[in-house]
Amino acid sequence: MSDVPTITPGDGSDLLAAEYVLGVLGAVERRQAQQRLAHDQAFANAVAFWEERLGALADEVAPVAPPAQTWNRIARSVRARDSTAPRESLWQSLSFWRSFALGAAALAAASIASLTFMVTSPPPQPPLMATLGPANGQPSFLAAVNAGGTSLTIVPTVAVSGADQQHSVELWLIPAGDTTPRALGLIQPARAVRLDVPRELIARLTSDAALAVSIEPLGGSRTGLPTGPVVASGKLVNL
Amino acid sequence: MAADENRSQLVAALARVAGGDRAALQLVYQDTSAKLFGVCVRILNDKSEAEDVLQEVYLTVWRKAATFDPARASPITWLVAIARNRSIDRLRAVAGRGRMAPIESAQDVHDPAPAALDLVHAAQQSSRLATCMGELEQRQSIAIRAAFMEGNTYEELAARMRVPLGTMKSWIRRGLLKLRDCLER
Repeated sequence: MSDVPTITPGDGSDLLAAEYVLGVLGAVERRQAQQRLAHDQAFANAVAFWEERLGALADEVAPVAPPAQTWNRIARSVRARDSTAPRESLWQSLSFWRSFALGAAALAAASIASLTFMVTSPPPQPPLMATLGPANGQPSFLAAVNAGGTSLTIVPTVAVSGADQQHSVELWLIPAGDTTPRALGLIQPARAVRLDVPRELIARLTSDAALAVSIEPLGGSRTGLPTGPVVASGKLVNL
Repeated sequence: MAADENRSQLVAALARVAGGDRAALQLVYQDTSAKLFGVCVRILNDKSEAEDVLQEVYLTVWRKAATFDPARASPITWLVAIARNRSIDRLRAVAGRGRMAPIESAQDVHDPAPAALDLVHAAQQSSRLATCMGELEQRQSIAIRAAFMEGNTYEELAARMRVPLGTMKSWIRRGLLKLRDCLER
């Protein structure tokens, strides 16, 4: 029958995206789909397709005026949150970084450098940058150290393999002339993160030191050293 | 107001929200809150809970406006997706909360909403979807509408339409694939 599409194996991921957007998944499958969204760009694209196409069904839902006080509550929360939680900015927007990463990592590195200059000018020293990747592989993270060396921003540029709900992703500093990794903190496989550099390590964030990313048990390595696979590493360089 | 004009005003307001402009958030709220509240109420079937979720929705808009990409999505679709996702998450947080009134006919999932008042989507997008929905078997389009508007799971829809779960899954999946083929034509 020509008007009854057959479900083929290739439809699986797209169908799941459609089912997720439609809202028919139960609680568990829904959460799984949401986790997949964070690191599977093809799946995210399929979800965006369905949101755009099915979204017009909302035209059939009758508008209902919300209670008069709702706006005031929202305005209050916005003011309260503004002072505590930083908003997601272009700086943390994954698509923004991916658009760079897809073109050229070097260009992205230069862009972070110029951004770092802009937000911290006048810089006491050229900013430190690192492009992190697997040996012989595509860069998977870009890192920029702020001008004083007190914090760094690390941005994933591709999905990180091995990162899942049962594991944490940890960033390490291997100081120049040293082989012992020092923990810098947990980072996110699908989102930009700004880390404060531990006070005792600030002076050791220098060019020729290296950064490395490892997959660790949930909450991070308990030994103080990387215990899981190192999925990306790279040297800090002055730009 | 023409849909296109409405759309570009919303895009501009969201860009200002991304820059941290609270007055722009209020503009977005004025333009879209009745629509989004309607969406939340329809899914949650409870006005005070819907009001709670509506607050979360605009706080999400405030935080994430910079991730809205007008080249990829229309602003109202983006907002409706946030409202639906938040509402469905809330619905799923407690098992067995979905609407369970039997669905006997298309009337049971239709709002008497005057579509003309509601030019939020580009007209061609709406009519394209309407055409493609019209090509589905009636039971498929009823099930898909109920799922979209009321946030029902497969299980709930099967109970509401009094068919086995497998039948419901097959109606909806085939319906979605047929919709995709039609929308891509």
